[in-house]
Amino acid sequence: MAEDSRIERARGRARAAKCAIGALTMLVFGAAFVGARSYAPGHAKGKATPLGAPASFERKVRRSVSQGGVIAPALQPPPVATSTS
Amino acid sequence: MNAAAVHRFRAMGCDVVLAGADPTRAAALLERYEEAFSLFRAGSELSRLNRAHAHVLAVTPFFARALDVALSVAARTEGLVDPTLSGRWSEVVSSGQVVFRPPGLALDLNGVVKALAVDEATARLDGDGFVSVGGDLAVRGPVDVALPGGGAIRVVEGGLATSGTASRGPHLVDPAHGLPADSPWEQVTASGATCLAADVAAKVGFLLGERGPDWLDRRGIPGRFMTLRGEIVENGAWSRATREALTCT
Repeated sequence: MAEDSRIERARGRARAAKCAIGALTMLVFGAAFVGARSYAPGHAKGKATPLGAPASFERKVRRSVSQGGVIAPALQPPPVATSTS
Repeated sequence: MNAAAVHRFRAMGCDVVLAGADPTRAAALLERYEEAFSLFRAGSELSRLNRAHAHVLAVTPFFARALDVALSVAARTEGLVDPTLSGRWSEVVSSGQVVFRPPGLALDLNGVVKALAVDEATARLDGDGFVSVGGDLAVRGPVDVALPGGGAIRVVEGGLATSGTASRGPHLVDPAHGLPADSPWEQVTASGATCLAADVAAKVGFLLGERGPDWLDRRGIPGRFMTLRGEIVENGAWSRATREALTCT
């Protein structure tokens, strides 16, 4: 009878230890997760998505960064103006 | 294309004017840029990167590509258009989705992000049209554009941008000194193959002062410079482009 009681108490301690280890693990994981989100800017709230424009757009933008455009005299009343912002 | 419906709204802290595109879609695109790169939003990816104390940081592909463009622009302009605003752009290294930079060295990608957003929005136009954000614009198909100080120009291809001190005071920083640039120009307008090219050319033209018109000319970039007294100076490429077009008509 005393033997059963000892085993039961040991099982209780084992259960408590398992719960404590589980809770500690969750706590450490949670803290690391929050830390990673605030420390690494790449851990954005939204899903990371690549630039939506086609790859040809990116190539063109990079290639032409010091190339002039094509202009001519205006022919109509302009719908838009260029200005500093 | 001037007869197409023109939509106006506010985004990225600027007036947006566009034609040939669904304004809701364009607004969503611009919001995406602002969400990632605004220095006025504490939660933007750029603000969080600037607050981080680490040397090595993970960023999203979207952010990494814009930073790559900013560093490429800094290299091509010999640091005149510098994402660190302090002449330290070469200390920033971007590799894939990893950024290396000394802690405390803040980045400001405004020099390229607005123009990039304009170029991407223009690339998504359904047909002929234009996108203008704060006066920096890109076109698909010819569009007539009013110029600072009066007059207008037809942008046949590419983009047009204006930089200077007219609306926000001396905010363009000379990276060599880390102080607002002391330029003889109030505003510089440049035409580029893209809005980004035009914006970079306008900034460089402004920051180089008296050497600005020649710098643009050597690269075949049309530039129009307005002095602090309101006089207009056109570089050779700008004058030739308008003169040649006049003789053709």
